Amino acid sequence: MEYLIAGSVEEALRLMGGLDEQGRSARYVAGGTDLAVQLAGNAAGGQPEALVDVSGIPELLRLERAPGGALSIGAAVRLETLARSADLPACLSQGARAIGSPQIRALGTLGGNLCNASPCGDTLAPVIALGGRLVLASVEGRREVPAEEFFTGPKATVLRPGELLVEVDFGPAALAGRSAFRMIGQREGQAISQVNVAVWLLAEGGRMAEVRAAAGSVAPTPVRLAAAEKLLRGQAWSQGLGREAGQAAAEEVRPIDDVRAPAAYRRLLTAALLREALAEACEGVQ
Amino acid sequence: MSAQPVNTGELAVVGARVRKVDGRELVTGQARFAADLRFPGLLYASARRAGVPAGKLVEVDPSPALRLPGVVAVLLARDIPGPNLIGILPPFDQPLLAAGEVRYEGESLALAVGVSREEARRGAAAVRARIEPWEPILTVEQALDPAARRIHPGGNVTYSKKLVKGDVAQGFAGAQVVVENTYQTSFQEHAYLEPEAVVAVPGGDGRITVYASCQSPFHLRGHIAANLGLPASRVRVVQAYTGGSFGGKDDVATEIGALAAIAAVRLGVPVMIAHEREESIIGSNLRHAARIRYRTGALRDGTLVAGEAEILLDGGAYASESPFVTMKAMIHAAGPYRVPNVRVESTTVYTNKTYCGAFRGFGVPQVTFASESQMDELAAALGLDPLELRRRNALRPGEGTATGQVFTQSVGIGRTIERVAEKAGPRPMGPKPAEGPPAGAQPATDGGRYLYGRGVACLLQGISNGAEGIDVVGASVQMAQDGSALVGVGLTDMGQGSRTVFAQVAAEALGVDITRITVRQVDTDAVHDSGPTVASRSTTVGGTAVLKAAREVAGSLRSMAGLMLKCPPEAVRLAEGFAMLEADPQARIPLAEVATAAYWSGFPLMHLAFSRAPDARFDHETHQGDIYIAYNFGTHLMDVRVDRWTGKVKVLRHLAAHDVGRVVNPLGLEGQVEGGSLIGFALAHLERIDTEGGHIRNANFADYAVPSILDRLPTETLVVEEPSPAGPFGAKGVGEPPVAGAAAAFANAVADATGLRFTRLPITRADIAAALAKEV
Amino acid sequence: MQLEFTCNGRPVRMQADGSMRALDLLRDLLGLTGTKEGCGRGECGACTILVDGSPVNACLLYAAKLQGRAVLTVEGLAKGEVLHPLQEAFLEEGAVQCGYCTPGLLLSSKALLDRVPHPTDPEIEQALSGNLCRCTGYAKILKAVQRAADRAGRGDGTSRRGREAGR
Ligand SMILES: Cc1cc2nc3c(=O)[nH]c(=O)nc-3n(C[C@H](O)[C@H](O)[C@H](O)COP(=O)(O)OP(=O)(O)OC[C@H]3O[C@@H](n4cnc5c(N)ncnc54)[C@H](O)[C@@H]3O)c2cc1C
Ligand code: FES
Ligand code: FES
Repeated sequence: MEYLIAGSVEEALRLMGGLDEQGRSARYVAGGTDLAVQLAGNAAGGQPEALVDVSGIPELLRLERAPGGALSIGAAVRLETLARSADLPACLSQGARAIGSPQIRALGTLGGNLCNASPCGDTLAPVIALGGRLVLASVEGRREVPAEEFFTGPKATVLRPGELLVEVDFGPAALAGRSAFRMIGQREGQAISQVNVAVWLLAEGGRMAEVRAAAGSVAPTPVRLAAAEKLLRGQAWSQGLGREAGQAAAEEVRPIDDVRAPAAYRRLLTAALLREALAEACEGVQ
Repeated sequence: MSAQPVNTGELAVVGARVRKVDGRELVTGQARFAADLRFPGLLYASARRAGVPAGKLVEVDPSPALRLPGVVAVLLARDIPGPNLIGILPPFDQPLLAAGEVRYEGESLALAVGVSREEARRGAAAVRARIEPWEPILTVEQALDPAARRIHPGGNVTYSKKLVKGDVAQGFAGAQVVVENTYQTSFQEHAYLEPEAVVAVPGGDGRITVYASCQSPFHLRGHIAANLGLPASRVRVVQAYTGGSFGGKDDVATEIGALAAIAAVRLGVPVMIAHEREESIIGSNLRHAARIRYRTGALRDGTLVAGEAEILLDGGAYASESPFVTMKAMIHAAGPYRVPNVRVESTTVYTNKTYCGAFRGFGVPQVTFASESQMDELAAALGLDPLELRRRNALRPGEGTATGQVFTQSVGIGRTIERVAEKAGPRPMGPKPAEGPPAGAQPATDGGRYLYGRGVACLLQGISNGAEGIDVVGASVQMAQDGSALVGVGLTDMGQGSRTVFAQVAAEALGVDITRITVRQVDTDAVHDSGPTVASRSTTVGGTAVLKAAREVAGSLRSMAGLMLKCPPEAVRLAEGFAMLEADPQARIPLAEVATAAYWSGFPLMHLAFSRAPDARFDHETHQGDIYIAYNFGTHLMDVRVDRWTGKVKVLRHLAAHDVGRVVNPLGLEGQVEGGSLIGFALAHLERIDTEGGHIRNANFADYAVPSILDRLPTETLVVEEPSPAGPFGAKGVGEPPVAGAAAAFANAVADATGLRFTRLPITRADIAAALAKEV
Repeated sequence: MQLEFTCNGRPVRMQADGSMRALDLLRDLLGLTGTKEGCGRGECGACTILVDGSPVNACLLYAAKLQGRAVLTVEGLAKGEVLHPLQEAFLEEGAVQCGYCTPGLLLSSKALLDRVPHPTDPEIEQALSGNLCRCTGYAKILKAVQRAADRAGRGDGTSRRGREAGR
């Protein structure tokens, strides 16, 4: 397996294009924490002929807040950086903190987590709840895709062959609002989410003027909890409302039974985690 | 029991908090585990696994593998010179490489040898196998169906035994309260951090040396020699540093040790087999899953009058240690109680799944969960406090166990109950489910979210192989002229610290500092075959052998010192690195001088001694009689907080009291209790090998939930010392017992908190949340 | 590819396949077998090494990513015969049983103490949550890290326990 290191977005695209023209299979690699595991798993074959490392591309390492409050996070920003930042939307830091272990977070990246598109990925629901937009680059140019439309199935996205995720952009509202993330796994340490939930809301006069909630591991892709959002919108927080919203969310998700959890439990968790996340996000809302 | 009096006098090294004697190598990375060894020309081997749980093996075609660059050879069943069989008890039933039939998905069909681990693995994957699949036999019921296909020629019952004490029918007739239930436990993986590994090195002298991560080197030697068709004396097995075993590195170490040796002999170069984690889980033994029907009868005051149990163990594809596990589960089913009438049937069956064998506790955790659940159900039926019910029935010295064995000393169960009762403190905060929330008892947002409960469990665990098998350990102590000593014992240290224990015992007997003692790794060329390192017997039986050998050497030193100090040998005491006059400790000679003089005077400075369990009076039909040389007794208590919403359980308190006879090393003891308890907790709450259609679905540490540091228990070890005449300075082993205690206490605590009796382990968060949701 | 980095303070210059695992490079090419493999999938932490002070799983790390970095393995912890305070503390507290998890745990602990000299228990737990240990039950590991931190703290006169007692 050839290992190529890209120094810029253009170089990454060019390297990929060149390999493609030669008919050689290749993959982008950022931290490699998903890719290396996948490749180690198929000893019999399925190894790409080359890897293009994008983890050192300066443009992908940017973490910037524009004067108006907009935020953009490069695809190769490490999860550990997100986890430790105090000035990012809470649910995103919390989601990053929930991933793997310190070792995994030191290597793993936001872009890798999103592009890997595992339904249980812990930054997916936060990025959706925050209304993130993904900037994708290809030799044809750049396009922007709302996070919600990026995921098409388990481990499947709208990324075209050779296309690169450059950054994730958030409007000023993401930081202006309040947010929270919750997950639960089989154990406390290094747990993979049986369910995760992120909520974001804008409070106005003690009420939730805007709400977005999303959950992971309850469907083939992370999903918006539309029924719960509808219940919450315009309302003032109360424990009773939290219970109702949880109920609604539990009913609207379509989880499956698998090795990590039974579907019925996933519904219970969706309700419980949404309630908890809401309670945290609404704490102190006047 | 042995007539030797239990030493209760002042001790210098035994009882002290000593550092692990081989710790320095481990913290510096210098210790060589098997996969760390490097030899010139080393090749790597990897097995092609069946991948289907049952079928007729029609053909194995190595040619696609042999065409790959980097693949040197592929071994098939027909290339094995010997019988191609391994196992624990004859007749052996497990092939090294399958021939004709596949009995579980992890079955090895061929061994690919390559120039790197990667190439060996790729070679193994390329071997083509034609298997006509059969409908796998996956449940105990299927296996026991008289019409079922036979997994082995002898049928599907691996082993079946019965224990009869008194008359249970009469016992139940006299009972005023009877409780009955059926309990289940799941397959558990050892999950030692080091996957199995071996290196076989041909010697050029007609001998072969196998370095192995293993538990019982002599067992390996026997099977390797037999399968190579060589006399055992041509095979040398050296235990490399072993990264945990817990019972698990026996059959599988034998399997890969023999395969590597056969490949090495054939190719004339060293060959390594190092398992990946997935292979380690699928291709080596698990803890038996169990189904236990249990009935208990008592008088209204709580006095137990009868116990009846039917134990069914799923043993997977091969026998392994199943016979011993079957028996041990049976013998411990009645718990540490006085039960006049007991009847237990215990059966293990074959299924087309990964085979089961020894795992810390050996069947005892499964039955303890069942019997201690029964005790709580009984307490509830009688309206008695659970601890009080246990106190009333706890065995006392002079009373018979389930096998009718009577110990007149070292029966500390009552004292462990008292220790726990003293330490227990108030019940955890919060409402009992029936009572509803008292004001202020919960966090503000709680809304009745949390439930609190307390569980206790008592247990006993037999020490030594006892009447189940041989129990002889040989130990050698060799003193050099500088007064330092080399100790060799045929029992392995897999991390549990037995080398440290042996060093302490020798240091104590020789009166030297522990740093003057070296305990060598087990090398079959250099130590006596001491049977398997199992059954918490290292400290007790092994330590006794070391003590005997060291005392012989000490005898030589005393005789020499007597000549030098002009006194009879009995007047000499060895301590602090000196030989001194008992009556006048100032009259002392450094031990090195004594040792040197003894050497030049021809006193023997090396001794080989044996410790042998006394001949047991035991009836193998009814299983009545003396079976073990001692029992470890214990009582555990757990306080928990259960989250109604998510089923999360937080253990707020965990007390683990054990009667260990005598503490040899508090540090080691606590480590055993803390580590063993966490494995028990995992069995009860987190871990389950998940099989579907004969395939393990969670053969990795992402989905098989080994506890992390965030999942640890707040274990407090409480020590009870009721010295046993069977062990050195009164010590009894403590390796296994905490597993059963923690598992059973957890189940009882969850039952107490939720008001629901869960009868299947593990009791996962999902189980708890689902059951509580149904309640509302 | 041509790789240049430092390993345990010494410069390394070598030819290696950039797509090989750093774990194999260390163990097979540099002979540093103190770094262990327990799962090969990032799930156990036995292979933990420090790269520029951050703990990473060497089993997931492509060798090319070592370029220009400073690597620390368990072999680089002691100064000659003198053990690192963490190594001492692990021995003293009985935090080592089989020792297979120990190299990884020592390095995760070191990364923590370098960043947070006086960590709280939850901080220690978080920092070590990627390192499985099957033998010890973890209590003694936690104590060992506390002890090493306390000892390091003695220099400036504040031990963690002292500070906590003062709260
Ligand atoms: C032990 C362990 C535990 C884990 N626990 C969790 C967990 O709890 N929660 C969780 O969400 N995840 C978990 N993960 C998964 C993983 O660590 C994360 O998904 C991580 O964020 C992946 O980032 P990476 O940079 O390492 O991705 P890589 O492995 O480098 O890449 C992942 C995929 O994305 C592609 N890719 C990467 N960057 C780009 C880009 N810029 N443009 C286009 N494609 C790109 C790659 O080609 C590859 O297909 C765990 C992994 C391990 C090994
Ligand atoms: S071997 Fe790397 S994490 Fe287990
Ligand atoms: S000491 Fe054995 S795994 Fe930690």
